[in-house]
Amino acid sequence: MTVFHFLNCAVLTFGPHVVYYSATPLSEYDTIGTSVKAAVVYLGAALVKLVCLATFLKVPDANDSFDPYQELMKILIGFIDVAGLYFALTQLTHRNISQNHKFQAVGLGWAFADSVLHRLAPLWIGARGLEFTWEYIFQGLEANANLVMTLSLAALGSLMWLRKNKPRTLIPIIYACALLLATMPSITSYLRRSLEWQTPKVVGFELFSSLVMAFISWQLFSACQRPM
Amino acid sequence: MSPSGEVVASVSSALAVLLVLLACVELGDAAAAVGVYRLIQYDLAGAPLGSRAAALNHHAAAFPLPAGADLSRSALVAPLLDLPLSFLREYLSEKKHLGGLLILLPRNISAKNVEGNNDDKGEPKNVLAELEKLLMHEEVPFPVYFAFHDDNLDNLLADIRKIASSGQPASASTGGYKLVVPSAEPKRVSSPTISNIQGWLPGSRGEGDAEQLPTIAIVANYDTFGAAPALSVGSDSNGSGAVALLEIARIFSRLYSSPKTRGKFNLLFGLTSGGPYNYNGTSKWLRSFDQRVRESIDYAICLNSVGSWSNDLWMHVSKPPENPYIKQIFEDFSDVSKEMGISVGIKHKKINVSNSRVAWEHEQFSRFRVTALTLSELSTPPEFLESTGGLYDTRESADVESVMRTVKLVSESLARQIYRLRGRNIDVFADNSSLAISPHYIRSWLDLFSRTPRVAPFLQKNDPFIVALKKVELSEHTTDVHVQNDVLDGMFTFYDATKSTLNVYQVASVTFDLLFLLVLGSYLIVLFSFLVITTRGLDDLINIFRRPPSRKVKGA
Repeated sequence: MTVFHFLNCAVLTFGPHVVYYSATPLSEYDTIGTSVKAAVVYLGAALVKLVCLATFLKVPDANDSFDPYQELMKILIGFIDVAGLYFALTQLTHRNISQNHKFQAVGLGWAFADSVLHRLAPLWIGARGLEFTWEYIFQGLEANANLVMTLSLAALGSLMWLRKNKPRTLIPIIYACALLLATMPSITSYLRRSLEWQTPKVVGFELFSSLVMAFISWQLFSACQRPM
Repeated sequence: MSPSGEVVASVSSALAVLLVLLACVELGDAAAAVGVYRLIQYDLAGAPLGSRAAALNHHAAAFPLPAGADLSRSALVAPLLDLPLSFLREYLSEKKHLGGLLILLPRNISAKNVEGNNDDKGEPKNVLAELEKLLMHEEVPFPVYFAFHDDNLDNLLADIRKIASSGQPASASTGGYKLVVPSAEPKRVSSPTISNIQGWLPGSRGEGDAEQLPTIAIVANYDTFGAAPALSVGSDSNGSGAVALLEIARIFSRLYSSPKTRGKFNLLFGLTSGGPYNYNGTSKWLRSFDQRVRESIDYAICLNSVGSWSNDLWMHVSKPPENPYIKQIFEDFSDVSKEMGISVGIKHKKINVSNSRVAWEHEQFSRFRVTALTLSELSTPPEFLESTGGLYDTRESADVESVMRTVKLVSESLARQIYRLRGRNIDVFADNSSLAISPHYIRSWLDLFSRTPRVAPFLQKNDPFIVALKKVELSEHTTDVHVQNDVLDGMFTFYDATKSTLNVYQVASVTFDLLFLLVLGSYLIVLFSFLVITTRGLDDLINIFRRPPSRKVKGA
């Protein structure tokens, strides 16, 4: 029984990435190489992040409250992700695929690597136990939200760094949205720790906000696509 | 093999190793782990008795049960007072199978029923005694465990009841619970040992007195027997007797420490084991003595269950009360008891040598033709394996005051005999004197006895408790301290696994997992369709399902 539950949770966590790849034109243009490169960049960025976290943050106590300075440091370190995405989008040489597909492939690789790194091990150890908890189902839902957000961020990133002629009025909005997306992990951590939201509420918020952000990014992206 | 093939092989073998390693990662991830105590498992003359199984892995159930429920694959969780004995009797007599039974004991067993309205259920103590008697003398084919009420178990019970009352089949939202006791097959305890501990207080021989001094023996058995070996602390039976003996040894050692006050009697103190098994240890102990020593014993006072009496104590003898010797001892006790304002009664029960049942410890002495008596609060001889320190016999069932009165009674009358003070009305062990009986000493020993389960087969011969009794206590006050280890006689076979850990898991039902898979599948299909439609158009989606054969043709 427990293996069944484990498989279910694994499908919920990693299924959407596969579905996304096979359903969109990404599979037709064979962009897996780009995704793998993005995943490798993610690994590098995660390593740098770990080193930074270990260097600049103190060990959290059990009864730790929300410390603004520590959180600010965390947000700054969180921007290493953005730097990584920038590197993956602009500095890597990709087989010539359209910008349209490039950001999707990078975002997908990025989100998949994130899921594997952060969710596979807990899933393997936890979901196979006899004990049933909702935790791993929520974790799978979180992976879904994370995929949507990473794609949105990658889309905005490609707008910011790759597209030269975009409507001037939209530029501040693009930057604001990107900033919001980049700080999203800190926001959820604030909700969890400081406002003491329960996991279902936090996951619901993540899912909702990711959909909203995806919609906004989509609108921005298509607005920039239109010829001026 | 080509180089690339080798690489693939090595990578795949490395992956296999990794997977094996990952599969080994098992964590104790139970929602709750509770210490539980198993019902005793033993054979009596070949007949299997007690709980015959230890491993438990079943879904939890609780009263009230739905009509016609099949419990053969359920672990029944029942608080002591909610478990109808008739239900259990029916299961045992009809040999119906039960997955397992977990009985929740109240923290304080002696406490009176606080909720006055459920008087029909009776006092926990009486209910427990009856339950224990039932379970101990029957063969129980399923595992039975005892646990104390705690928050985890109370929550569990409330949850199970909620599920049962809603009448829904167990699903993840209502939740089912699985009780797991990982336990190997219980093993026989090979050659159970009993340890008798003895110490002497030698009297002073008058000058030129060649004759051997007479000896007075004070004896108490210290081991217990109960439904749960790991919970049989037997504070009253017979912790109280053993504690009284230790205190008597302590105060007489003060008198005997100075040559001036040393009496013309040897005092022999014996803490015997094997008491519940017809005083098997006492018999072994007496047999180990030299014939001369045994004959020098004037008489023996056995102390049994002296921890909870208010006014009446009984002196049990196997010789007729008209016997001048017995009469003298009884008069001594009566004199002191009158001064103390209590009453001592005498009960005579003849011994039957052909009957293997030995109800009182003094009967073993009588079989060796040594005059002996038992002081006890019990007015009638206990049945076999009764009053041997069962589950209900906890610290609350023995009080320091009773033990002190017993010590006072015994030591005063002994002193009058030893120092020939009869009829002089002298209080040798008066309060506030240096020979006063110490309530602190009695309390601390009674507390220790009440924390230590003492079922002889599970008490190793070098158990800290026995070492404490021998080294710390008797050696401190008496000389020639000696521990006699012997094997318990063959009628009994015991099995181990007396306590273990119960893991409580909250588990989801199969239906939930299937439902979840269904929802998940539809979610992924919807997501797939949505993505295809938005990025490639509806036609492509339809083509995916329609075209495969034509594509093949194209490819060919």
